[in-house]
Amino acid sequence: MDVVFEQVGLKRGERWLVRGLQAEIPAGRFVAVVGSSGVGKSSLLSAIAGEFELAEGRIGLARDGGGPRSPGEHRRHIAPIFQHLLLSGNLSLLTNVLLGRLGRRSWISTLTGFPAREEQEAYALLADLGLGAFARRQVHQLSGGEQQRVAVARALFQQPDLYLADEPVASLDAYFAGRVLGLLRQEARLRKRTVFCVLHDAALVERFADVALSLDPARPDGWSIRTISRRPGDTQIEGLGL
Amino acid sequence: MPTRQTSPPQPPTLPPMAWYERLTVLNVTFLIFLCAALVSLRGIHGSGRELNLWGNLSRKLHDFFPPDLSVLGKTLGALGETFEIAVVATLLASVVSLPLALAAARTVSPGWLVAVARMVLNAIRTIPSLIWALLAVAVVGPNPLAGVIGLMFYSIGYLGKFFADAFESVDLEVPRGLRAIGAHPIQAFQFGLWPHARPLVGSYTLWMLEYNLRSASIIGYVGAGGIGVQLHIYQEYGQWDRFCTVLLVILAIVTLLDFFGDWLRRRIAPR
Repeated sequence: MDVVFEQVGLKRGERWLVRGLQAEIPAGRFVAVVGSSGVGKSSLLSAIAGEFELAEGRIGLARDGGGPRSPGEHRRHIAPIFQHLLLSGNLSLLTNVLLGRLGRRSWISTLTGFPAREEQEAYALLADLGLGAFARRQVHQLSGGEQQRVAVARALFQQPDLYLADEPVASLDAYFAGRVLGLLRQEARLRKRTVFCVLHDAALVERFADVALSLDPARPDGWSIRTISRRPGDTQIEGLGL
Repeated sequence: MPTRQTSPPQPPTLPPMAWYERLTVLNVTFLIFLCAALVSLRGIHGSGRELNLWGNLSRKLHDFFPPDLSVLGKTLGALGETFEIAVVATLLASVVSLPLALAAARTVSPGWLVAVARMVLNAIRTIPSLIWALLAVAVVGPNPLAGVIGLMFYSIGYLGKFFADAFESVDLEVPRGLRAIGAHPIQAFQFGLWPHARPLVGSYTLWMLEYNLRSASIIGYVGAGGIGVQLHIYQEYGQWDRFCTVLLVILAIVTLLDFFGDWLRRRIAPR
């Protein structure tokens, strides 16, 4: 999914967070959103999802070569990984992962549960993230890091065109942080899915991202976009409207 | 060169609390309650006759003991009927209450529907269970069915309100998150709200069952079946030793249910 920012401005109360953001991110890119706390990274992700009202400008999402449309029209093709996870704590890990595809199924078909084939698929994802043994446990019985992996599994299971991951590795150890970001990077490279990911660790940004979008706490129009040079053979991003 | 002497900084002193700062809502409410109790004392007075209070009490208690256990078998049979009335009434009431509670929950339904549903629930709660039972006896005659109908209506008033409160107490962020990925409102309810309200709904239903078992013992007084019919008969004929046996049986079952309810509630406690 292509993401187009046209003179985007975001405000929290009277304070400008971002102004004049102009960029075009082609499908299949891993964009790291960086900046200090409170600078507006989460608000930017919410704005891309259509959940945060823009103070000025426009955000367009285009999929399969179509023209850019508003985020609201692409809701079920967007997978947010929320900072507060928003898992259904009294349901099992397996059910929480299955919820990723609610947008694709009618409410009547989900009244009695999910097809066995999808359960198998969701279980494979959980196993891949080291949670296979707990699949039938309730989410509230898990640690914060384990819950974070469930939230990632739910987003992956959704098979979206755009991931909006708000600090998806904040509670994870180095191994699982690498595993999760590796999976998101794979989604971008192999399946041409676009990833926006809030990250605080500079080393992880350099290792996994194609582009770093930095927000400046001092100046709302001080944002910058930097293409990260990678190993030989990796494609550089072109067409960024800098 | 003269050096400036600096005195060590004084720790700040805590300012005294102003009298009006003590007037919290809780304190004021308690004060009003205390004043109301003092004023109400005027309304409590006896007949003015000289009575031998202790003598009267000990004579009455003497009538109760020892309990006449010859009616135990009959009492246990009636207890079974009471139990059946309470269980069926609670089940029916919880089924009817769920849609009413959904309509009455501010976080689920539109304002006008909430107002209508809450008014209906308030109206149902206004009428005591004994009056519901009387109405039911007038319609279907003096039998256990009247007991079921009477208790069911009374329970709907309470369960409807409790269930609505349970729905409102659930954090809406999870269902909102599901809506954000394209879930239908019914799916957001089924997977985001209901799983968190369910333990509370179960706990309230259990509480209602306990309550109905106690109530079902009383509604027999108006002919609506159960152990209360026996209570009424023994009271009418002044057979207080048999009356006492019935009371002991009720005490036993209520205590048992209380323990069982506590045990079960701890296991389905809301998280």
